[in-house]
Amino acid sequence: MKRTFTSAAAVLLSSSALMAQDLPQSGSEWFTAGQDTIQQMLERQDNTNRALNVIVMVADGNGVGTNYAIRLFDGQSKDMLGEENVLPYETPAFHSALVKTYNINSQTPDSAPTAGAMNTGVKQRFNLINLGDGAVTEDCTTEAANELTTFAEIVSGEMDKSVGIVSTARLTHATPAAVYAKTAYRNWEDSVPEECTDSRDIATQLIDQMEAGVVDFAMGGGRRHFLPEDVQDEEGGSGRRADGVNLIERAQNDLGAQYAWNTATANELTLDGSAPVLALFEDSHMKYEADRADEDEPSLADMTRMAIETLQNNENGFYLEVEAGRVDHANHGGNAYRTMVDGQEFAQAVAVADEMTDDADTLLIVTADHEHSIAFNGYCGRGTDILGLCYDIDNEGVEHSDELVMADDGKPYPVIGYLNGPGSVLTEQDDGTYSGSRPDVTQEEATDLDYLQQALIPKSSESHSGEDVAVYAKGPFAHLFDGTLEQNVIFHVMHHAVTGGEQADAAQ
Amino acid sequence: MHRRTFLTLAAAGTLAAPRIAAAAETIKLRELYTKMEEFSDLAQALAGQRVTVEGFMAPPLKAESSFFVLTQRPMATCPFCESETEWPSDILAVYTKRVIDPTPFNVGIDTTGVLELGTYTDPETGFVSRVRLTDATYS
Repeated sequence: MKRTFTSAAAVLLSSSALMAQDLPQSGSEWFTAGQDTIQQMLERQDNTNRALNVIVMVADGNGVGTNYAIRLFDGQSKDMLGEENVLPYETPAFHSALVKTYNINSQTPDSAPTAGAMNTGVKQRFNLINLGDGAVTEDCTTEAANELTTFAEIVSGEMDKSVGIVSTARLTHATPAAVYAKTAYRNWEDSVPEECTDSRDIATQLIDQMEAGVVDFAMGGGRRHFLPEDVQDEEGGSGRRADGVNLIERAQNDLGAQYAWNTATANELTLDGSAPVLALFEDSHMKYEADRADEDEPSLADMTRMAIETLQNNENGFYLEVEAGRVDHANHGGNAYRTMVDGQEFAQAVAVADEMTDDADTLLIVTADHEHSIAFNGYCGRGTDILGLCYDIDNEGVEHSDELVMADDGKPYPVIGYLNGPGSVLTEQDDGTYSGSRPDVTQEEATDLDYLQQALIPKSSESHSGEDVAVYAKGPFAHLFDGTLEQNVIFHVMHHAVTGGEQADAAQ
Repeated sequence: MHRRTFLTLAAAGTLAAPRIAAAAETIKLRELYTKMEEFSDLAQALAGQRVTVEGFMAPPLKAESSFFVLTQRPMATCPFCESETEWPSDILAVYTKRVIDPTPFNVGIDTTGVLELGTYTDPETGFVSRVRLTDATYS
């Protein structure tokens, strides 16, 4: 019976093109667009070339929900209604899958073990980086016996590929650190506990990996973790290193590295791959894209362009991890506006990476490490400002009506909300209890750059959630991304792409 | 023009071409700075005048104080963003007429006082500010 059903379905499918023109809906733009999509998918061919290059682009905290909001924001900023927008990595040219992000011991993941899973192929424990399951968070005595080998170490070894890291967060922060560091605690950015004499802080590990020839290009924030406490940096900030070591001078003097700290000095870098690049644009994290000035520091797209231009000088190829680190931070702050603007810049960076590389030899992966407690209210009409209040559906038209949708308390509400965070409608009272009611928000207030979306549970910092993220990919073996995958599978696709398959023409 | 685009342009216009505010007008904290973290034309124009600024009271540094820090957004502590509590760069030090009665960190307040520009180190807390409101009240 099953066989008969399959055969019947095949007959129906083969004749679908002929039947389509007879259907009353066949003239609809939706119908023809659907047919076009199917055609593009039918024309897709599995790419089994051996990957010369691998680029993994991570928007931190950009789960399926956050990405949905960014899609609408990006579309609406281009004068579209928004829902129909297609981000650069959402086209049929990309294969995709859902990703399960939990850590070994945590339903709700953090960015350290999630990035570690992508860089080593195994899940890890909460708050630590690139250590096996025998390691214990904040216990440095468990580091040595549990150190894992990273993808960067694999490809920079016998394959002699170059390795680059770009992030709008501190380079010592969890996601970029997972390219090069192994540590029992993600917060050991410039020091380790006194008793941990065999351990190295994360900043030191970056320069050590640069010296070892593993890391060739590192561009992001976090200057203070590379400078001694008594040293003032170019922008007036102070170093944090209690050991007195100046890692920037070490990189420049001992490794011959080029160093940049703002847009002007970044523009003076020689991007021919002849010397390592260390660029530290801020004392801590780089600015939110909404607050950034071009003359102060480069955008994520600019940094991605500089990284690829540098790394492409190696005929053996490269591995590059790019992180939009502050999508996550704005979500933590309950501030959807800055989340959207940083997410939009991430999409631009993906477009740059795609334009500068060849699908024949470059595996381009776009993903996130985890989602947040972000959620979406309804029922809003088409084109409702994703950052604004929920406007009602127009039964006769397409775009939303001018009527606000009211809650049972008689007040309108924003489309985006958070389950917890600083935007909680419950505020602390004089007696220490929490209570309150929803404020009566205007559209002008809700769409302000600094507006915090309404949240339920009061928390100083909004939290991650364990909800799935998506992975999108094109290039060699991108078709392996399918279905619902464990996060550590991303490493295995990367590894298979650089070791399996046929040598691509472009790589010969 | 789509409404969303209009709002974005309107916001950008505010940043690009600072308006001249009347002294009694309520301003946003971000209007005092440029993206290069320099004082805006608006801040320069209002220096020495009594102005009202929207913001949030950060948890006070000490009890029974007549000093607090006004932040642009609630002073969230984020363990996954920072390894320790840090001040954002866009803050305003406030010296009040009376001892303050702290408000929750995420309840918006309007603070009115005399706008002072220039670096100043608080002798009691050691807090260094670049811009302040003095003789201030808040609601």
